[in-house]
Amino acid sequence: MSTLLFLTGEAFVNLRRNALVATGAVLAVFVSLALAFGALVFNELVRINTLQWQRGDHIIVFLKDEGGPVAHDQLLQEINEYPEVENAWYLDKAGAYQEFSEMYSDQPALAATVTAADLPASIRVELKDISEYQAVQFRLVGHPLLRRLSVFSEGIERLLSLTGVLNSIGLGLVVVLGASAVVLIANTIRMAIYARREEIAIMKLVGAGNWFIRVPFIIEGATVGLLGAGLAAAAVFVSHGLLERIPTDILIRFQVDQSFLTSRTILILGFGVLAGFIGSSFGLRRFLRV
Amino acid sequence: MIRLQEVSKVYDGGVVAVQKVNLDIRKGEFVFLVGPSGSGKSTLIRMCLREERVTRGTIWVAGKDITRLPTWRVPYLRRTVGTIFQDFKLLPNKTVAENVSFALKVTGCPRSIIRRQVNTVLELVGLSAKADRYPRQLSGGEQQRVTIARAFVNRPPILLADEPTGNLDPATSVGIMRLLDRINRTGTTVMMATHDFAIVDAMRRRVVQLDRGRVIRDESASGYEAPSKS
Repeated sequence: MSTLLFLTGEAFVNLRRNALVATGAVLAVFVSLALAFGALVFNELVRINTLQWQRGDHIIVFLKDEGGPVAHDQLLQEINEYPEVENAWYLDKAGAYQEFSEMYSDQPALAATVTAADLPASIRVELKDISEYQAVQFRLVGHPLLRRLSVFSEGIERLLSLTGVLNSIGLGLVVVLGASAVVLIANTIRMAIYARREEIAIMKLVGAGNWFIRVPFIIEGATVGLLGAGLAAAAVFVSHGLLERIPTDILIRFQVDQSFLTSRTILILGFGVLAGFIGSSFGLRRFLRV
Repeated sequence: MIRLQEVSKVYDGGVVAVQKVNLDIRKGEFVFLVGPSGSGKSTLIRMCLREERVTRGTIWVAGKDITRLPTWRVPYLRRTVGTIFQDFKLLPNKTVAENVSFALKVTGCPRSIIRRQVNTVLELVGLSAKADRYPRQLSGGEQQRVTIARAFVNRPPILLADEPTGNLDPATSVGIMRLLDRINRTGTTVMMATHDFAIVDAMRRRVVQLDRGRVIRDESASGYEAPSKS
């Protein structure tokens, strides 16, 4: 225990002596991880806002309550027989309420004002070819059960494919920026070791084992990673707070769930520490040959 | 305590530093390694510490064949061998007491024992009053005393010294040699490489003379130069 305390003390003495380089590394890790965290949040926003479309809800036929489930089922069968339709399914009031609750899970006040009875049942239609939406629209207009028709046009299909690309870019960014954080920490630790190579040689001469030499540098790297990740998480929280001021729109949401932010913050902090551990281990390898 | 059998060392590029050296140093002996620069004295010491690997031959230190020692065991070897160098090799950002205690900290020794041992050894080398000074605040002789204290603090059975008086004036060198002699009298085996003929002549201990990597003389109670044959 006293050895661990001694090694931790050594790590912080090293950080203080190496303050300028360490600060540079913390800031570089902060930028990398803030962008990576931002990309994660962006991906989540894209996912939330395109949830319905991704499920293939090209047309939503909101239904009047008249006629009840029997009449609704009749219309569902009718729609399923349209040649343009790939698949159609029924979402009753309870299902609509569940969907609503999921979409607005972070806004319980809004969810509390709405009950299942307030929400209409609907038929969700997936088309064989999105460009045929007008034919289905034409068939349904004027139907006595029709309350309202929501059509996601070809433009939205294009947007969907674009969000797929954006998602991939976002994930790519997360990977590249995460890797760059590891490399930055490795480089910082290598510089710190280079500056103290004579000390390390002396430590080895008096019988210090590799772990005895390694641990302070690993603690140093992990601290740099943790500080950088902490700053990144703080920056994302602040940015998200600013986004939350934008009023919620039925079409676009700018807020992600608090649980998402919390879990990803833990992930980013953990990654910061891990990046420090891996980076410093890489940085140390060359200098610890006996 | 230290045994070298047919030990050779050839550096990259074919430079031969040590050739077929056989040497047996018993427990409690004080041995001088003498010879001109490049004769292989330092290489021999470095090989006994496993800082250099032998090209051929075997070295036993404290009963262990260190040429076959796995890398992870090397720190344990170094804890049984105290080392003293010409350039002191002290940690500049640590005080005298911290430098000395460092050799015990690496072994995971409890703090209370470290404190006691450090105080004792600093008293032995006459530096108790300067325990809180940094190496830069000490004279060359004092720095070498710190190195000796660090080398001896965990009571190693062997002490290797590579030109320990090389940077010191004659008067200070005598003080250092008295200290090493005192340590040797506690039963510690000492092997010391030196150029300083005055010290070797004054001490009258075993002398191993090297020339171009070969042992050309090995005599007990001898001086720097081989006695002339009449």
